[in-house]
Amino acid sequence: MVTGRVNSSLAQSPVRLTMAVWGGKAEVDAYNQVIAKYQAANPNVTIRLDVIPFGQFYQQVDTRLAGRQAPDLFRVTYQQVGRYALGKAAIDLSQFIDSGYSAAFTPSVWSAVNYQGKPYALPHHTDTFALFYNADMLAQAGVTVPTSLDQAWTWDRFIQVAKVLKEKSIGSYPFAMSWQNSAVHRWMIYLYQHGGQLLNNDLTAPQINTPAGIETIAWTQSWFKEGLVPPSTSVKSAEPVQNLFANGTVAMMLNGNWQIPFVNQQMTKFKWGVTYLPRDVAMADDLGGTCVAISRDSKNPEVAADFLKFLVNEENMRDYISAAQFLPVRKSLVEGGVQYALRPDEMKVFVEQTKTIPQHLVSTVVLPTWGKFNPKLADELDLAFTSGQSPEQTAQNIEAHVKNILLSS
Amino acid sequence: MADLSMTYPKERSETTTSRKPGWWSSYRSRLTPYLFIAPNLLLFSIFVFFPLLYAAYISVHQWSLIDAPEFNGVQNYTRLLSDGQFWQSLTNTVVYSAATVPTSLFLGLFLAIGLNRKLAARTLLRSIYFLPVVVSSVATAVIAAWLFNDNYGIINALLKQAGVGPVAWLSSPRWALPSIILTTLWVRIGFCMVVYLAALQSISPSYYEAAVIDGATRPQQFRFVTWPLLRPTTFLLLILNVIYSFQVFDLIFVMTGGGPGFSTTMIVQYIYQAAFASSEMGYASAMGMVLFVLILLFTLIQWRINRRTEQFV
Repeated sequence: MVTGRVNSSLAQSPVRLTMAVWGGKAEVDAYNQVIAKYQAANPNVTIRLDVIPFGQFYQQVDTRLAGRQAPDLFRVTYQQVGRYALGKAAIDLSQFIDSGYSAAFTPSVWSAVNYQGKPYALPHHTDTFALFYNADMLAQAGVTVPTSLDQAWTWDRFIQVAKVLKEKSIGSYPFAMSWQNSAVHRWMIYLYQHGGQLLNNDLTAPQINTPAGIETIAWTQSWFKEGLVPPSTSVKSAEPVQNLFANGTVAMMLNGNWQIPFVNQQMTKFKWGVTYLPRDVAMADDLGGTCVAISRDSKNPEVAADFLKFLVNEENMRDYISAAQFLPVRKSLVEGGVQYALRPDEMKVFVEQTKTIPQHLVSTVVLPTWGKFNPKLADELDLAFTSGQSPEQTAQNIEAHVKNILLSS
Repeated sequence: MADLSMTYPKERSETTTSRKPGWWSSYRSRLTPYLFIAPNLLLFSIFVFFPLLYAAYISVHQWSLIDAPEFNGVQNYTRLLSDGQFWQSLTNTVVYSAATVPTSLFLGLFLAIGLNRKLAARTLLRSIYFLPVVVSSVATAVIAAWLFNDNYGIINALLKQAGVGPVAWLSSPRWALPSIILTTLWVRIGFCMVVYLAALQSISPSYYEAAVIDGATRPQQFRFVTWPLLRPTTFLLLILNVIYSFQVFDLIFVMTGGGPGFSTTMIVQYIYQAAFASSEMGYASAMGMVLFVLILLFTLIQWRINRRTEQFV
């Protein structure tokens, strides 16, 4: 049982910390709960939570880093943490943790927060993707959904279902994918499902300009070409896909588990459920979730680190993820299971899907140059989806960006 | 001006020992105006002039905002020349300006003339047209994004009633820019109208009386009296609108984010993406400098032309 009391070597003088996060109501409430608990155990510490909209989050953190006024702690996705490590904007946390500390975390997320063998953030939670479906609409179309991972729909079957929905005019569009707002890395789910990779095995050269890469671009492009998804859901748009699902515009959506509270609250006219992602030659899923880093501007890194360890300890991690519908990154919680108050059966699907995240995909998206490469990938895929750029040309352009940005040291 | 000496203690002149005596009294009359503009100049320096110099400095560096700037000479500028996306966003900006500036001037003038007469509800109409200028442009953009939304927008709902559509206003490369242009007109017409209205009301009625006595028809009155007298106003609005359209950002950021593809990526949008999405502050600053020079050139040319034409008025 961790009490969260700062060890006596830390000063007892008043300490003020700020922590920058983004998040919906459930997440912010869960953060505040941990903060209240820590402050109760450490009366000399005051922690202010700075809630920034996700669209401006990194811009604000970067600007404050440039002005040497960054928050003490900040939330960051696994895809972006490498950038802060590379720029030495986040501090190396190895001085604050014991040698055996890392063993408690799942290996893929622990590798994600490490840069040159040193941790620059501590993993807090993960999340992944599955297929939300409008149960009423699928019943109307006479479609039953898979109930186990090995029964997951094939790509062909998935498109077949979409076409049935389209023919019968059930909902305005069959489905939508959530990859807007700089989350274009989620397109890689399909690349890996199709047996492709963005980079070669040892991450030294591009591997996108291959039949697997071109075919994946063509397949995702065909969603738009054939009117299976709303045109406003391409990778550069700002359309919140969850709204379209909740109001019945789309019958299915590919989205993450953290949408459950929103859908549960907003989708009052329809019954809904969650099933497995469609699969092709392989099943693959995306590494979502966030970790928390300490900025180089922190005046009290020891206290910040103490709070950070408190935030990600077993008890607080469990409380946070069960309240905000996330998935654990501590082995003990993965094995022991977490009781979700909301839609536990749907959460099981997500938990199972996490086992299908390819390690190679993780290694690719946590490269420190990923943050810089991400907008270029979005540009090219958006041109393919909205402006008719051919899959071959798109693969060629992405390959050039991989060489110039992702693999530039 | 002489009585101003009372406000300055005599000792002041003795502090400047390096100068010959009497320096202060001889320069005072020339310095006074500078003292008056000093507060403004100070703020201008802090918020405009210094950042401009700093941007010039950053533009010859590579800087990701979170690491230390690294000098790289003119590399950012040479990269600009071969960056197709930069040229496309510049072309988009020119197209956007050409589509919005003359139209909003013309429609603004049209409305101003209409609302310069004695009409019932004249004040109400003026307020309605001017409203989008007063309201925050982000709010205007959000409203426009709702109006134009593909899936639940009012415009598509109305079209559906008429048996047309739905049109993918903001998500097809063909319609995204026209949607932005329409929204811009909605915002800018009111502004042009108010400025023209003020100018129209400052034209002395005696000109029109004289024109009527000479037998001028209404169109002739407009052509030979109103239009020439509005020339300085037109010039001012032209400059302001071109500068606005070259710096347009918030409207597009909210409505399309520069997409689909690059169909609505304007120059400032591209600068923003380079700076904050790709973390290339140096490259973004170099583009900012190019934009600054372009707007400066445009203003100087306009200014020259206007000075030449002013002589004929």
